Parts: sequence; C-alpha cells; structure tokens
Amino acid sequence: MPDLSASSPMGVLGQGWSAMVGDYAISGGWSRRGEALVVGDAEGGVYSFDGESGATGWERPGVHEGGVLAVAVHPSGAVFATAGQDGRVIIWDAAEGQENRAIDLGSSWVENLAWSPDGRWLAASCSRKVHTYDTDGAEVWRSEDHPSTVSAIAWSGDRELATACYGRVSFFQASTGELRQKLEWQGSLVSMVLTSDGGIVACGSQDNSVHFWRRSTGQDSEMFGYPGKPSALAFDDSNTLLATGGGETVTVWSFRRKGPEGTRPGSLKFHLEPITTLAFAPGAMRLASGGRDGAVVVWSLQRNGKGGPIGAEDLGAPVAELYWRPGGSGLAALDARGGVTVWQIGQARGRIRPPRTAPGLGEDIG
Amino acid sequence: MSTQSRVPVTILTGFLGSGKTTLLNRILTEEHGKRIAVIENEFGEVGIDQALVINADEEVFEMSNGCICCTVRGDLIRVLNNLNKRRDKFDYVLVETTGLADPGPVAQTFFMDDELRAEYALDGIVTLVDAAHIEQQLGRSDESTEQIAFADVLLLNKTDLVPDETLDRVESRIRDMNRMARVVRSERANVPVDAVLDLGAFDLDQVLERRPTFLEPEYPFEWTGVYSLATGRYELSLAEGPDPSMSLVVLPDQGTDDAALREGAEWCVREYAEPSMAIQPGEDIPAGKHVNLQLDSPGRKSFFIDIAAPVRVGLFTQHLPEEFDLQLRNADGESFKMGSNFCSEPDCIEEDAGTRRIKGAAVAAQAERTWVALHEHDDEVGSISIEVDGDADPEKLNAWLGQLLRDRGVDIFRMKGFISVAGESRRFVFQGVHMLFDGQPDREWGDLPRRNQLVFIGRNLDGQSMREGFEACLI
Repeated sequence: MPDLSASSPMGVLGQGWSAMVGDYAISGGWSRRGEALVVGDAEGGVYSFDGESGATGWERPGVHEGGVLAVAVHPSGAVFATAGQDGRVIIWDAAEGQENRAIDLGSSWVENLAWSPDGRWLAASCSRKVHTYDTDGAEVWRSEDHPSTVSAIAWSGDRELATACYGRVSFFQASTGELRQKLEWQGSLVSMVLTSDGGIVACGSQDNSVHFWRRSTGQDSEMFGYPGKPSALAFDDSNTLLATGGGETVTVWSFRRKGPEGTRPGSLKFHLEPITTLAFAPGAMRLASGGRDGAVVVWSLQRNGKGGPIGAEDLGAPVAELYWRPGGSGLAALDARGGVTVWQIGQARGRIRPPRTAPGLGEDIG
Repeated sequence: MSTQSRVPVTILTGFLGSGKTTLLNRILTEEHGKRIAVIENEFGEVGIDQALVINADEEVFEMSNGCICCTVRGDLIRVLNNLNKRRDKFDYVLVETTGLADPGPVAQTFFMDDELRAEYALDGIVTLVDAAHIEQQLGRSDESTEQIAFADVLLLNKTDLVPDETLDRVESRIRDMNRMARVVRSERANVPVDAVLDLGAFDLDQVLERRPTFLEPEYPFEWTGVYSLATGRYELSLAEGPDPSMSLVVLPDQGTDDAALREGAEWCVREYAEPSMAIQPGEDIPAGKHVNLQLDSPGRKSFFIDIAAPVRVGLFTQHLPEEFDLQLRNADGESFKMGSNFCSEPDCIEEDAGTRRIKGAAVAAQAERTWVALHEHDDEVGSISIEVDGDADPEKLNAWLGQLLRDRGVDIFRMKGFISVAGESRRFVFQGVHMLFDGQPDREWGDLPRRNQLVFIGRNLDGQSMREGFEACLI
C-alpha cells in the first residue's frame, strides 16, 4: 500500500462523503446531472446516493441474479440502464428507482452497455452479439455473431457504434445496424476508447500492447512494452491525450502534431500495483487514476502528456471505477469492498509527494 | 496477495464420451463442503443446484506474435476475473473443456493473464481416457495425444467395457507417454473425489511419494525369456535384423515369478552399465556378463552357450527376439523359436526338462516378459526424466533452460522438478507449460541429499542431449 493514510485525502481531493453497497461495486455513473450517483454491485443490487450528502436515495438489492456487469447513465441523467449475469438489461427511472423496462436476452451475460451521446440509442453486448434499443427499450437492431465474445463497445459520435472483440473492431450504422467498417488485427482486444469525433480508436490487447487506428486513413500503430494488459484507457476532451494503464505506471500518449509515433509518452508514477481505471476530468487537463493498490490519484497534465500528481487518497481496496461529476467539481470512486467514495475537487496547490517507488520485498511476501 | 488464498482450478479434459460429465456430476453430488463454480464449454447434463454452472464458448485467442505459448482462452479470463469479484468467493473452480480442446491454452491462461494468475492457481489437469476407444483416438488426433501429455491424473475410464489385456496395454501406452501423471482406473468415473481435486499436482513431492521409481531410467533391455536347460551345448542363432549388434546378459538361476524377474532385471541393469564384451559369431557366450553380439556379417549367425549342470537361465535381450528371429537350438539339432510360442503353463516344462532332449521335443520358455521401454510404441510423445546429484550453477542453468525453452518450448508440454542451486539452502521448485516457466525456492534441503529431479513431457524430445545439457550446468 502507498504511504497514504487511509482516511485523509491529499491535494485537490477534498472531503466529501462515502457509503457502502452490498458487495464489490462494479459499475455506476452520475445521474440527474450530478445530483445523484447510481451504483451496481456484484450481488446484483442497484443503489442511488445523493450527490451532495451521500444519503441513500433508494436501493434495489438482488435485481440482477449473479451480479451487475454494467451500468450506463443516459446523457439526460433522467434514466439509466443496468445489465448483469442474469442476461437482462433493465432501464430505470433515476429519480424513483423504478424499472421502466426489463429486457431478457437469454442465459448469457450482458457485459457492456452504452448510450449514444445524443441519447437516442442504447447499445448492449451479450456474448457475440450487440443489440441496440431506443430509450423505451424497444429493440432497433441486433448484429450477426461476432467472431468472439464482444469485449467492449463505444459510440463513435451519434451515428456509429463500435464494437471490439478478438481480432477486430467493427463499426455499425446506429440507425440500421449496417456494418460499415472492420479494422482487423490479430490480438485479443480487451478494452476500447474512441475520440469524441470518432476519428481515432484505441484498444488494449491481451498481449500487453495498445493498438490504435486513425480511421480516416486506415493507418494503424501499436504501442508495446507494457508490463501488463492495458485494460484501462481514456481519451481527453481535446482528443489529443490517450492515457493508458497496463502496469503500475500511467502512460500518456500525445496525438499532437505527428505523435504519438516516435514520441516519448508521459510516464506517471505513483501507483504500486497495476492501474485498474482512468478518467479524464471534463474540460480540464486533469486525469484521475485508480489502481489495485487502492490508491486514487489526480494528475495535472501538460499537452505533451507529461505531468505530476496533485491529489491522492488510499481507499484500502482495489479501485474498480472512477467517475468525474459533471462539471468536474467532484470525483467518485467505486472499490472492491463495496465502498463508494466521493471527493469535492479543490484548488491545486502544487504537486503532492509520491510514495516510495517500490514495495519492500520482504513486506509483500508471506 | 498470498499464494494460499488463490482459488484452486481443476481442468477436466477428455474426448467426447470419455465420461467428463459423469465425473463432474459425481464431484458435485459428493459431500465435500466446497463452493464450486463450473465452467462448461460443452452443453453437458449437469443439473446440480449447489454449484454455479456457467456455459461459455471456448474462445482460443492467439496473439499477433504467433507464439503458441501466448495463446490463451479468452472465455476463462473473462468469466473467472468476474467471478472473483464476489465477496462469497468460490472455493474451487472446475473447467470442463470440449472433447477436442487443446489443454495448452487452458493451462497457459493461468500463467499468462496477470489478473488471473494473482487470484487462481492451477491445481491439476485431469484427463479422462475412454479405455475402449483411446487406441483409435490416439492414432487419429493430436488433441487426444496432447490431452494425455498434459495430464496430472489420467483417469482410465470404462474399464468394464474392455478385456484386461487391453487395459494393461492401454495403461502401459499412456504411462509411456506421460510418466509424470498418476493413472487411476475407473468404471463409470467412480473415483474418490480426492483423486481428482486438491491434487497439489504441481508438487513433485507427491508424485515421487506415489511412485518413487518413476524417475528411474527405463530398462536398457526390452525382453526377458526364462529357460530350463539340461546339461549340454546350446546354439543361439539370429537372422539379420535392424541393428548391427545386440546386447545380452545370460543370467543363471533366474526365477519365473514377477518378483524374481524384477530382481533379475535390477541386477542386469547394473550389468548392462558395465562395458560390454564383443562376441563374434561362433564364439561362446559367458554367463552373467554384458555381452554384445556382433551381427554385421550377412546371413544367420550362431553363438553358443555351454550348460554344465541343469539350470534355469534368463536371457535379457536388448531388442525383442522377433526383430532378429532369435532361436535357441540345442547342439543336437532340436530347435525352437523364442518369444513367439512361450508356454502358458509355466510348470509343464520343468517336470520333463531332463527328458526333453532325448525325446527331441522343443524346449520353450518357462516365462517371458517385455519391459516398458520408451520406444516400445511409436508415439512421438514421451517423458524425459533427469535425476542427478550435485549443485547447479544458477547462470549456466538459466542459460541452458532459456535456450531449451526457446528451441523446444513448442514441443515441451509440461515440466516440473526440483533443482539444487549452488549457494541456496532451499530446493528450487519449478513447473511450466510450453515456454512458460514458473519457479521459486521451496523448503530447506536439510539432511536430504541435494539431488536434481526434472521431468519433461513432450514431443520428440532428445533425452540424452537434455541430460547432458543439464549435467553441464552442475558445478
């Protein structure tokens, strides 16, 4: 564990609130434009907390038998969707916690959910297929079988949906499901992010590399040398910085000018165990990272991807997900023990001191 | 994270119809107090409430580098990393593969994926073998061969459906392919659960405890025939065969029961280790000596054995008698073939051994057996064991092993063993799958002799050069 006391946030992370859900907090999001935080857990429960106080708004335990796998909040913040091992997608009213619609996709896990940026479509992946629904939960189209289980989905603007699976990224037309582009590469793609304009798609691969394509030219590149698989990826709002996990170090690639090919990335060192999640703050050159070591770190970045830590706290349990509150005034963390932690974001007073660079060998053994 | 808390995983492999589902149901219905999660790649008929059964399509993911050792099972990574998030974690995971699954990627997944590796420990690979069909399967498919080669436990199932001779033949063949595995016979997968779960299969101690002789070199001879011979002169004749010479020991006072044969074999192993005495055609063969019959001249060759008093002798031959059409003829002209018509009633000859020559009837072997030798079958897959005392130089060892795994990793399915590393008070224990190698210091050597024991299961491995390579690492 880092040299951080478990109860005192440092730097820009100001005192907020914390709460607990029933089990491992799997996924969530800010609803009602930041007034509430919804969270799904490994017991299949769905919870809503007041964004300011952390008071429980409502709780629905055991909704998805076997556990929640994905939560996605509609851009309006008024509705959100959950999916789980029970093979169901549920569309909820965020304020009341009422199920508007439950969709049964069969016995396979529903692992990924994403609303289109304009809020017209909800995409859900289940085994080798991806399905899309309208806001009422009526199915619009479903894809043919992919070559393997769909590992990630993301919207490329409002008109296209991207899916990642083993060996391939596919682009489907949002309204019809027509397959418009296939980017192929032999590797198990475990994560995917797109720039907001959909121009660049980046995927983390099981073989410890990040592969990306510029869609306009079809040109692709690979960034390798990661010690682990880059399952956490994030693009910033300016579409020029790509933050990647894949080890204890956060590696930030800059797409300015001719980069990132031939450039040296920013190398952000603080975590003592691999990065599990990354999130850029809206409109700011700030990145939040969470790790298996339980640390949550906020970084201030420069245009070239280099930067330093300006806030940190140790949650004492592996960090599952991080969500910036709309507007960037707060940051929420979900952790493996079911902890939900929200910080107010304060003024940066300069860099904070990173912990020891490596765990003492004797301490971690036994 | 401590190793103890990792969830053990058992992989069940075997061809369709070998009994995987039967075994699975048996494990799940048994009172074992474990919370078991089952990952099935085949729709079997597992209908048990106590266990969580997850059906997942087998997804074999090869990497762009083309390395077969990096090939993993995406379905297992996805499902197991997710199951691990629950607070009430499972105590045990069983993975039932499809009949045609290559066990390599399944096993490698637990080494290659860093998240999985932190949370799960491969306890063992159990391969079900359909005693009635395995011989055809081995001829037809690589998967079947690899499933046997990868196994920690070979469950020879459906033993009620085949005669004992077939069972013995099959068992000997699968043992030959994988001498590291424990072979358990069963009728309808009716084995105790502890024969397949919680094996600690990668602990070589257990393997050695079960079968302490499994690291012994194979016998240098393939066949023994025991003959009661009356006083007189005998002619041993051999036709042209596959080799220009053949080693032989004629052992006096050889018994016919199994214990006596093994005792004779042990004695002959030592004799075979001595330099051989070359015997030319027409010369006499001395008793109790390692001789090498020179067979490079054309045609049938004869050698002679003088018997001064009636005695029962064992002939320990390097090759099978039929390879050279080996015949023993008494000097008076009676001849009989060896190895092809041994008497099934061991005592019938002894009674009238003294009269046989006078009557002119053929003398037959009283007892005969073949010894399991690595090249007895034509299977490409076999086991190489290295057992040698001494301390290994860590740098040389690293270089040798690195080179070996780079060059032959594709053909090495499994490996495990102990190494005595110079300057280290503890045993170095290792295991591996293909090029993936995992090792760490284990318990103190204490008073135990510092002996290196290494086992490799693989395809077309050159045991001699591997032994020499390892011995060159010793200080």
